[in-house]
Amino acid sequence: MTPAVGTRLVSAGALVALLANAAPALAGNGGFAPVPPESPNAHDITWTWWFVSIFIAIIFVLVEGLLILFVIRYRRGKRARDADGPQVHGSTRLETMWTVAPVVILAAIGVAVFSQLPGLRDVPSASAAGEKLEVTVEGRQYYWQYVYPNGVIAADRLRAPLGVPVELTVVAPETDVIHSWWIPALGGKIDAIPGVVNSTWFQAERTGIFRGQCAELCGLAHANMLAEVEVLPVDEFEAWLAEQEAAQAAGNSDLGEEVYTAACSTCHGLEGQGGVALAAPRLAGSALVADAAAVEQIVRNGRNQMPAVGGGWSEQEMDAVTDYLAQELAGGSQG
Amino acid sequence: MAARAETEQIPAWQRGKVASWLVTVDHKRIGILYLGTCGVFFALAGVMALLLRTQLAQADADVLTKDTYNEVLTMHGTAMVFLVVVPVLAGLGNFLVPLMIGAADMAFPRLNALSYWLFLFAGLVLLLSFTASGGAARSGWTSYPPLSVHSGGNGQDLWILALHILTISSMAGAINFVVTVHNMRARGMTWMRLPLFVWSVYIYAWLLILVLPTLSAGLTMLLLDRQGWTHFFDPAEGGSAVLYQHAFWFFGHPEVYIMVLPAFGIISEVLPVFSRKPIFGYKVIAFSTIAIAFVSMLVWAHHMFTVGMPDYLNGFFMISSMLVAIPTGVKIFNWLATLWRGNLIFDTPMLFALGFLSIFTVGGLSGIYLAAFPIDWQVHDTYFVVAHFHYVLFGGSVFAIMAGLFYWWPKFFGRMLDERLGKITFVLMFVGFNLTFFPQHLLGLAGMPRRIYTYGEDGLWEGYNLTSTIGSYVMGLGLLVFLYAIVKSRHGRRAGNDPWQADTLEWYTTSPPPPHNFDSVPYVTSARPLYDLRRRLKEAGAL
Repeated sequence: MTPAVGTRLVSAGALVALLANAAPALAGNGGFAPVPPESPNAHDITWTWWFVSIFIAIIFVLVEGLLILFVIRYRRGKRARDADGPQVHGSTRLETMWTVAPVVILAAIGVAVFSQLPGLRDVPSASAAGEKLEVTVEGRQYYWQYVYPNGVIAADRLRAPLGVPVELTVVAPETDVIHSWWIPALGGKIDAIPGVVNSTWFQAERTGIFRGQCAELCGLAHANMLAEVEVLPVDEFEAWLAEQEAAQAAGNSDLGEEVYTAACSTCHGLEGQGGVALAAPRLAGSALVADAAAVEQIVRNGRNQMPAVGGGWSEQEMDAVTDYLAQELAGGSQG
Repeated sequence: MAARAETEQIPAWQRGKVASWLVTVDHKRIGILYLGTCGVFFALAGVMALLLRTQLAQADADVLTKDTYNEVLTMHGTAMVFLVVVPVLAGLGNFLVPLMIGAADMAFPRLNALSYWLFLFAGLVLLLSFTASGGAARSGWTSYPPLSVHSGGNGQDLWILALHILTISSMAGAINFVVTVHNMRARGMTWMRLPLFVWSVYIYAWLLILVLPTLSAGLTMLLLDRQGWTHFFDPAEGGSAVLYQHAFWFFGHPEVYIMVLPAFGIISEVLPVFSRKPIFGYKVIAFSTIAIAFVSMLVWAHHMFTVGMPDYLNGFFMISSMLVAIPTGVKIFNWLATLWRGNLIFDTPMLFALGFLSIFTVGGLSGIYLAAFPIDWQVHDTYFVVAHFHYVLFGGSVFAIMAGLFYWWPKFFGRMLDERLGKITFVLMFVGFNLTFFPQHLLGLAGMPRRIYTYGEDGLWEGYNLTSTIGSYVMGLGLLVFLYAIVKSRHGRRAGNDPWQADTLEWYTTSPPPPHNFDSVPYVTSARPLYDLRRRLKEAGAL
C-alpha cells in the first residue's frame, strides 16, 4: 500500500466516524448547546449559553487563527537555526490593549448573566394554566422520593401538570449523602444536601417524559439513580393526584411496587432475584420478606452495605412496601 | 578540586550504584528520582484512565462496574493530581531551579531528600490502599462527606493518610524553593532577571505554603468524623456537609494553578528559544503570574454553584473567577507576540509548546462558561467539566511538561531524545487528546453526568463515548512511543552544554552537570545571561 492510499483510507475512515456521530447528532443540537429547553428557566440558561458563545467563538478564532498564521508565516524555512528574530522586548500599548479588551468582554458577560437572573430565579406564583404546585423532592441512596401537598408519595417518576409552575423543595435525609437533582430540559441542577433545604422550579411547555439523573457521586449505584418528570395535561394530572390520594389512604395503591422498583430493585432486582449489585441477597422466596416487622427493621436502619432506604418512611409507605414484598416475593414467584 | 573533595568525604558504602541514589542529597539526583517516580505513577494512573474509558466505550458495558469503577476513578484523579502533576513539577524545579539561578544546590539539601522520600512513601500508601479492607477510597478525588464519612473499610483512611504525608512533603519542598530563590541567586541576578520558569516555581511554592494548611484542616476533620467522635460534617449532630467543600476548594482551586503556573513557566522558556526572540513583555508575564496566584485564592466557591448559595455569593465568585481570565489572557497574547516575526524552529519542545497554546486556550475559554453560574447549573458535574479540566491539566500542564522534558532531557542526561520519535509522540498525543476530550464537552451538554460507570443506549452518548475511548488509546500509543524514545536515548546523540542555543544559566554548565553544578558562574546582566554572553563573544569575533 502506498503512503498516499494509506492517507486516503485514514481520512475516509475519519469521515465515516464523523458521519456516524453526526447522524444521531442531527436529532437534537448534537451537544453543541444545552439540551433543548422546555421550561422558561431552561430557556434563560440556553440564551446565556449562546450569548457567551459569541465572545468565545471570536476569541477562539482570533487566538487559534493568529497561532496558525504565525506558525506558517514565521517558520524557519531556509534561515539558519541561530538567526535571531527582531529583539522586541514588549509593547506597553499592545499589552494594555489586550488587558482592557477582556475586561470589557467579561463585563458584558457579567451584565448579561445578572439581567437573566430574575427570570431564572423568581418562581411565578401562578400561570394561565393554574396556581403554583409545590412538591418536595428527596434525594436518597439511590432513588428520588416526591411528596405532593396532599400527602401523596411517589418515587423516581415525578408527575407534573402542563404549563403550571412547579416549585421543588430539594432535600436529603440527615442520614443520607449528597445528591443533585437535574432534568436538563427543565433547567439547571441543584444539590440535595443532608441538612440543607434548597429549591428550584420549572414550568413545562409540553407534555411528555423528560429524563435526567443524579449528578453528584452518591455511592455505588449513582449511575442507576435516574429521575424522570412526566408532564400531563392539567385535568389528567389532577385526576391522577386525586386517585392516588384515595388509593394510598385506602392502602390499595401501586405505591409498594413503585417504591420497590425505585429503591430496592437497583440491587435486589425487579424480580427479587438478588445479586444485581453488591451481592444483594435474593428476596424472592425468602421467609424474611414475609415478616413485616423484620423488613421494617432492615429498611429503616440499613444493614451491612445496604443503605437505610426506608429511614423516615411514613407508616403508609412502609405498609405499602411490606405488603408488596409479602404478596409478590415471599414464597410466590419461585423459579 | 571541589569534585574530588566531594567524593572523598563520602563513605565507601554510599558510593554503590543503588546506595548512592538512596542517600543522595544532590538536587539533580533528587530531581531525577522525582521524575522517574512520577513517570511510574503516571503510567499506573494512565492505565486506570484507559480502564475507565474502556468501560464507557459502549452502553451497558461491564468491564468495570459500580464500586470498582468508583475506586478506579477516585484513584485516577487523586494520583494524577497529587502523585503526578504536582510532584513532576517539583522534580523539574528541583533539577532546574538551582542551575537556572547559578547555585550549587537547594538551600536545604537534606530537607529536599526528605520531601522526596515522603512523596514516594505517600504514593505507595495511596496505591497499596487497593488492598485495604473494603478496597481503595471510592468517593472521588474530592471525597465529599457525608459519602466519604459513610464509606466503609479503610481505603478512605489511607487516602487521608497519603494526602497528609504528601502535604508535609510539599510544604517542606515549597519552603525549600522559596528560601533557595531568595538567597542563592547568582551575582547580578535581580528579581527582574530571574528566569520565568524560576518565577513560576517561586509562586507555585508560595501558593502551596498558603493553601496546604486548609487541606490539612479539612482532611483532619474528615478523619476525626470517620474514626473519632466529632461531627463536623454531620448535619444530624449540628455539623455541615458543605463546610468540607469550602475547605477543600479553598485549597483545591489554587491547586489548579499550582499545577498550571510552572507549566506556564516552561512555555515562557521554550517559546523564546525556539523563536530566537526574547519573551514578549517579561514583566507582564512575571506579574501576571502573581496576579493569577492571588486571585486564585478568591474563586473557590465556583466549584459550588449548585449547593444553593445566595445569588450575591454566586455573583461574587463569578466575577472573581472571570478576573482570572484577564492575566491568563494577557499571557496567551504575550506568548503569541513572542512568536510574531520570530525564526520558528519546530523541534519537539516547540511542537509541544505550540500544542499547549492551542489546547490551553480552549480550556481557558470553556472556563468562562463555567464561571457564568447559570450555565454552570446546566454543565456542573457533567462531562463538560471533565473536558474542561483535562484541557487545562492534560492539554495544558502535561503538554507543557512534555515540552519541558524534551527541552531539558539533554541537560538531565547529556543525550538528546530522538527527534523523529518526538514528533510522532507529539502528533499521536495531540490528535488523541482532542479526540478524547473534545467530544466530552458535547456529552456534558447532552446531559451525561461525570462519575457514572454506565449509561443506557442513546445514539449521541454512544457515538461520542466511543470516539473518546478511541482517542484515549491513540494517546496511550503516543506515550508508548515516548517511552521507546526514552529507552533509545541511552545511546542518543550527545548533547554538549547548550544544544538549543538557549538563554539561561543551566546551559552554561556541562550536560549532565557535575555534582557541584558550576566551576564558575558569569555575572548576570539580563534575564538572558547566555544570550548576552554569545553576543559579546560574537562582537569579539570569537564565535
